[in-house]
Amino acid sequence: MIVSWVSLLLLGIGVLLACTAVAALFWAARNGQFRNYEKGATVIFGDDEPIGQPTDMVFAPKVRKPKVNKKS
Amino acid sequence: MNSLPKLFLGIFLVFAFAWVGLVALPYLNLGFLQPEVNEEAGTVLPQPRPGLAQLGSKVYASEGCIYCHSQQVRPEWAGSDIERGWGLRRTVPRDYIYDRPVYLGTMRTGPDLSNIGARQPSREWHHKHLYAPRVMSGQYSTMPAYRYLYEMRPITGAPSDLALKFDTGVEIPDGYELVPTANAIALVEYLVSLNRNYSLEEAPVE
Amino acid sequence: MSAAAEILEKPRTQTPVNMASADFAERAAIDRSCRGPVLFFYTSAILWLLAGSLLGFLASFKMHSPEFLDALAPLNFGRIRPAHLNVVAYGWATQAGLGTAIWLMARLCRIPLAKPWILNIAIVFFNVGLTLGIGALLLGQGNSIEWLEMPGYSMFIMFVAFALVAIWGVHMFVRRREGHVYVSQWYLLAALFWFPWLFGTACILIHTVNLGGVSLGAVNWWYGHNVLGLWFTPIGLASAYYFIPKVIGRPVHSYYLSALGFWSLGLFYSWNGMHHLIGGPFPAWLITASIVASFMMIIPVLTVAINHHMTTKGSFHLLKYSPTLRFTVVGAMAYTLVSLQGISMASRQLNQITHFTHYTIGHSHLGLYAFFTMIMFGAMYYIIPRLVGCEWRSPTMIKMHFWLSFYGIILMVAALTFGGMAQGLNLDNPSVSFNAVTEGTIPYLQARSWSGIALTLAHVIFAVHYGMMLFRLGRKGKPTLFVDLPQEAKA
Repeated sequence: MIVSWVSLLLLGIGVLLACTAVAALFWAARNGQFRNYEKGATVIFGDDEPIGQPTDMVFAPKVRKPKVNKKS
Repeated sequence: MNSLPKLFLGIFLVFAFAWVGLVALPYLNLGFLQPEVNEEAGTVLPQPRPGLAQLGSKVYASEGCIYCHSQQVRPEWAGSDIERGWGLRRTVPRDYIYDRPVYLGTMRTGPDLSNIGARQPSREWHHKHLYAPRVMSGQYSTMPAYRYLYEMRPITGAPSDLALKFDTGVEIPDGYELVPTANAIALVEYLVSLNRNYSLEEAPVE
Repeated sequence: MSAAAEILEKPRTQTPVNMASADFAERAAIDRSCRGPVLFFYTSAILWLLAGSLLGFLASFKMHSPEFLDALAPLNFGRIRPAHLNVVAYGWATQAGLGTAIWLMARLCRIPLAKPWILNIAIVFFNVGLTLGIGALLLGQGNSIEWLEMPGYSMFIMFVAFALVAIWGVHMFVRRREGHVYVSQWYLLAALFWFPWLFGTACILIHTVNLGGVSLGAVNWWYGHNVLGLWFTPIGLASAYYFIPKVIGRPVHSYYLSALGFWSLGLFYSWNGMHHLIGGPFPAWLITASIVASFMMIIPVLTVAINHHMTTKGSFHLLKYSPTLRFTVVGAMAYTLVSLQGISMASRQLNQITHFTHYTIGHSHLGLYAFFTMIMFGAMYYIIPRLVGCEWRSPTMIKMHFWLSFYGIILMVAALTFGGMAQGLNLDNPSVSFNAVTEGTIPYLQARSWSGIALTLAHVIFAVHYGMMLFRLGRKGKPTLFVDLPQEAKA
């Protein structure tokens, strides 16, 4: 493999980019971007489709009639 | 994660990082390789492909040969390609500098073709094989027949030099001859040119 | 027992929707605004799915019976095979993915779909470009660069379509309602940004710079692998992260884990490409970097697996009632499976055996079908009724679709995995003649053709059912799942 100064330069830029990404992540954490984070998981629910209510019952379950013991 | 600019920056950076490593760097390192000039031996390797073979490589692309055939010989520690007789040495980047595009391939439904020109230098064999694979390679070959690359035509005047002759397996009616089309001639020229068994400094042949 | 658990435990018929709530009206209005572009994408996608299934079956059949229909040049295996790949990858998977993505974007931005004309133009461009490209492939103008075989002009037309959708995506995001950005949106924005870059770079390097030699090989598989990891995977995961919690009615187990999964996916996945070329003519550092990155993928894969599993735990019985959940959960499990398999395939020891064999094809179908396509089916079963305003007509057809797809893909992957392993072991043994290697693969390839029949049938059933929905032949009048829009919401 030919190791020219250009490839070393590009490798350096790549490492720099990666460091910037990591730095951005730390900054975001310190800046409170991740505060109250878990609440983000609940945005897909609402008054009409609240948490705890399944929203897709195409194959509707049959209501099971309680078994009556015919023998008295 | 709620801000578009910051999200985008992150998305851009992770991608750019890999782009540098997998696209930019290989291009800079390998995209400008030159053939190896050996003044003592008087060789320039690899040799560029003659014009007809170059046309043939386009036929190779349009017929989708890479979907069953690879063109890369792996080193001994990565596979048994050399033991199988598919090459005298592993292939290296310099072997492919004249291949635009490169046909490394990812399937071996059929054998590797890096050195098929060395293994099978007979043009006639290749034509017959393309026309009737199971006649030439046995009943278990699943290669498609490229009959549309050939023409069964009535003999007018003297029979053609290029006409294919089969001992068994293919019936050619009296008064007819089976000749390759220009595409078939080019394709076979390309196949016969595939030979990477020469020595390079970075990959000597023992 | 918590209130949520109590609700989930009760046997029930249909669950009443609180029609009076403002949320309901807003959701209904958003769904309605999506109707045009999403159904346009879905209709195109399903038509290409039928074409792709047929091409796939033809290709499969020719692999064990090469004399089948071998007189015509456009039906040659070498042309049918790339046509199949491009039709299912771009025609079906990409368009199903985009239809789903734009609905998810609208729902998650909580605004009605803006400027539908941008999308409609994109869809026209996309289909025109693809049709020209597939036609060119069948007529022998393919360039044999895998995943990028179509001519430059058709790729350019498709690029314009991708760019338009990406611009639309940013436009929607910028106008979104205040509030947290949901994980699915990170994935979708990332995909809409990464893919045009990927596609554009690859096309420029191939058609303008005329790259050749092994550096083209590197670009080829940087592109090919990233289509899977940075285009299909994010859209599939975005869909799973939305529908699993939505259908079950419980939020994602750990939002922190989803963030970890997202960033590690982007960071590691994009370095994987060279694992398609292990043993090939490349510098060792390049191949090794990809093998290492492939192993690092264990992080995002396990993260997503844990998250989805813990979200679904305790609610697996809901798979009985919801086709969306069935398809999506199967898809999510397949994601874990195919990723773990892929990580193992990147190890040099296993790669020595499986490289160049049908094992790889089994892996690719496990990913693109069992993971991505199944998740897309799940998404479509949820979204389509909400767009057309009526419920699916025939639960039986849905069940047939599911089981044919499920057993079909299991048969295909099993046949190719075992067949590929046998083929690889034989290939690795130089005393086994090549003819014997081929002979050994035939029964497995025949089994794969049978699976192709099952899958094609599944798709025909789905297409017919979808057609019924387009013509409003679905079930009406059942309460809840779909309800008429309240007067105010009707435009």
